[in-house]
Amino acid sequence: MSVKHPMLLAIVMLLLVSTGGWPLAHGQEAQLANATKMANSPQWQKTLNEAKGETVYFYAWGGSKPVNDYLRWAAREVASRYKVRLRHVKVADISEAVSRLKAESGNKSAIDLLWINGENFSFLKQQELLLGNLWTGIPNAALLATQALSLENDFGVPIDGFEVPWGVGQFNIIATNGLLATNSLETQNRKITPESILQAAKQLPGRLSYPRPPEFHGTTFLKQLLVALSDSDARLFAYASPEAQATLLPLLWDYLDQLHPLIWQQGRAFPSSNTEQLALLQQKTLDLTVSFNPNQLIKEQKEQRLPLSAQRLYFSQGAITNSHNLAIPKGAQSPAAAKVVINFLLSEQAQQQKLQGSWGDPTVITPLLDPASTLPSQQELHSSWQQVIEDQWQQKYGA
Amino acid sequence: MATKIRRLILTAGWFIVTLVAGLPLFGIIVGLWPSVTISWDDVSHFFAYNGLASSILSTLFLSLFAPLLALYIGFMVYSQYRFNPRWQALEKRLAPLLSLPHLAVALGLVYLFSSGGLLWSSLWGIFGATAPEWLGLPHKSIATMLLAISIKEVPFFLLIFSALGRQLPIKNWLLQGRALGYSEMASWWLLVFPVLLKQSRLALLAAMAYSLSVLDISLLVGPNIPELYAVVLYNWQTGFTVEEQNVAFIGNLVLIALLSMLIAGIYLHEWWSVTTLRRHAVKRTSLKIVPISRLFTHWLGFFSLLTLAILVTFLVWSLGWNNQEIVQSSSAINWSFSLWQDEWFFIQAPLINSLYIALCSAIIGVLTTLLALELQRQNKHYLPDYIWLMAILLPQLSMVYGWQISHTAIHGGYHSGWVIMSHLPFTFAYSYLVLRGPFQSLDRRYELVAASFGYNYWQQFWKIRFMLLRPALLSALAIAFSVSVAQYIPTLMIGAGRVTTITTEAVAIATGNEQSITAIYMLVQAVLPFVAFLLASVVSQRLRGSFDVSH
Repeated sequence: MSVKHPMLLAIVMLLLVSTGGWPLAHGQEAQLANATKMANSPQWQKTLNEAKGETVYFYAWGGSKPVNDYLRWAAREVASRYKVRLRHVKVADISEAVSRLKAESGNKSAIDLLWINGENFSFLKQQELLLGNLWTGIPNAALLATQALSLENDFGVPIDGFEVPWGVGQFNIIATNGLLATNSLETQNRKITPESILQAAKQLPGRLSYPRPPEFHGTTFLKQLLVALSDSDARLFAYASPEAQATLLPLLWDYLDQLHPLIWQQGRAFPSSNTEQLALLQQKTLDLTVSFNPNQLIKEQKEQRLPLSAQRLYFSQGAITNSHNLAIPKGAQSPAAAKVVINFLLSEQAQQQKLQGSWGDPTVITPLLDPASTLPSQQELHSSWQQVIEDQWQQKYGA
Repeated sequence: MATKIRRLILTAGWFIVTLVAGLPLFGIIVGLWPSVTISWDDVSHFFAYNGLASSILSTLFLSLFAPLLALYIGFMVYSQYRFNPRWQALEKRLAPLLSLPHLAVALGLVYLFSSGGLLWSSLWGIFGATAPEWLGLPHKSIATMLLAISIKEVPFFLLIFSALGRQLPIKNWLLQGRALGYSEMASWWLLVFPVLLKQSRLALLAAMAYSLSVLDISLLVGPNIPELYAVVLYNWQTGFTVEEQNVAFIGNLVLIALLSMLIAGIYLHEWWSVTTLRRHAVKRTSLKIVPISRLFTHWLGFFSLLTLAILVTFLVWSLGWNNQEIVQSSSAINWSFSLWQDEWFFIQAPLINSLYIALCSAIIGVLTTLLALELQRQNKHYLPDYIWLMAILLPQLSMVYGWQISHTAIHGGYHSGWVIMSHLPFTFAYSYLVLRGPFQSLDRRYELVAASFGYNYWQQFWKIRFMLLRPALLSALAIAFSVSVAQYIPTLMIGAGRVTTITTEAVAIATGNEQSITAIYMLVQAVLPFVAFLLASVVSQRLRGSFDVSH
């Protein structure tokens, strides 16, 4: 089969989507049919053959035991199903991999597959260091829940087939029982506001904190605050013009000026990451942590790493939601095997295991979508705000 | 013909040692080669980075005072132990104590003494309370770094002092001091300290250069408002925009400038301490530091206990101690080996890599050292130490950056061969540091006697010099081995993460702050050098008796 065929399929799919109003079950069947059709295509069979016996070096953050355990499970599965060796290269920060790709400048790469999103993706895409056409080249990409979730953009940058969504992050806060005054009696989905955080900080000085920006959990915490403080100002979702910065950002800095003297170490040190903050919560040094995984609280409680009384909360405007994705460098030495791995990671079984296992990362494919388990979502800010917030934070509080 | 071959061998030998000893300088030059055009904007961007000044100041403070503190403590310990029956115990235990990796010491201190750490929370746990925050060692602060580095470097300075002390008539000096009416401790400070201080300049610089550019412990226990300079620089080096790379270039220059400031600091401190001591000697006022020295009479016991406590802490964490903190309902700790069972299978590959890389780079490093020493002996002229020790005197971050640029430029693959090569300058430098003394002080008469028996050059070298040096060679091997095991930056940057060792895994996992699983990797990382030293000491015990004529 030529390349044209999957393109045609994509067009058909687009038409189906645009007609709208189809019952979900129908759409799901169509998606499944598409995936099966692509999986049986000679082109995919060729990819499977090429992949056999290859090794995929998967560069992904190595700091999370649940993620590491999940990838170990996946490695066993792809080895027995497709005779592909999946090696998880644990990095302390994925930007290490991005700068390596930059240094290799498209030549033979050490990296076959990488786990990225946001500015890292935007840079690699702009530098043309990524392999394209992944959505059309990988059968299970047809299952992606593009209707229900916003999966076609990554921090405002169109994905255009240069990466494939793998999971979804929703920003939430995990806190000890009764820490934050809430406006709802419901136990699971409690909403918070900047005011309730400030109130809690006044009552319990030194017990709150957030990861030091530019760590992305920390930056997202600031974004959530900014959305709440500015009453979801529309300018946050457009390019950060100097005027918009001048009117909106002081809201955030005024708030932080009040908050910082009341938080952990009076804001003279911050946890370096959300995981460090989680450890501080577990050691009862802090009373709250932040997370991008809406199921993290339940998983931590299951592993007896957090008390059952701990609560998951989210900002009343909704949880900032974004996807985390998989990409293949242009210089990858086993691109076929990397595609096979992505295809497996998007399969129902792998997505199910990701959700149900110790990781608990939400699924991105239609057959497993469960709207009840997701938090109300808040649109991500325009990507230009990220740098602005981080730079000015560093300028104001970084020393 | 014979002279031709001999000359060829000599040239090849010099070539090899120059290659290994020159790699650090090569890396620095490549790293600083202006491959990018630096505009005035970049310079102003660099200096506009908020917190740069305080970051640099705190880094300078740390890298100046932590090694100096360690030097003073080391000297006080040395003076308390040297002419004492306890000296032998110290010498025997010094090397294994030296081998505990910096990272293990730093994290171990935090796991033990932070407010949520083992010590305070179990003490407070008895009464069902949480230890107050102010009591514990801060998780991230300059104080924690200072403590970790100064504690960790004390055995290093003891090793240096013990090597220097063998060549100095300290006992005579102390006698002369007594004849002049000074107490023994005062004589140590007035007579011995200035000489030892002068002779340990390079060791001091090595410790300072290490503190200046150490990354792993700065990331994990260093302060982050502001971040230490090594962390800021590493972020720029791994940054991918043109702007960041230009700033990284300037950052490298500044790192070298900081190093030269530290060198100035060493001389300044030397001048200050010698003039102060001289003033005291002339005025015969009592030295305030003398009573402090007595505090270190039991240093060996204290340090062994601390090492043990750190290892036990890791063990306890890895067996699930953490759970007790969270689940109040069960008062008993659920000890379990399940983490070990989970991880053991996955530890094997990095463990084997670590062993293989460390063994190869240690053996090659020690052999190169032997070659360098022998070539200099042939020349009857020893080059100054700093030429050979550049790997530990120059900032690692800048030199490895240069290696990585060249490694990518020649499209070198990502396998353990390159990683071994990147460890080689470090194993070489440390074994040179350890071996030079014994090599030079070996009694030449043994070889003269051998020559008179008709032994040729190779027989003399192999049967006499090599055999006599065997105990020293073994400890050099063990030290080189542990140096290689602890390497993080070269392994990561040259191995591209594809070559995983216990240390790279440990740092990646430690970024997740799951203390129980980090503890497993830390424990394995800390145990490796111990095993090496144990083996070295067992083997050298067996070698003694027949060959131990040098003592």
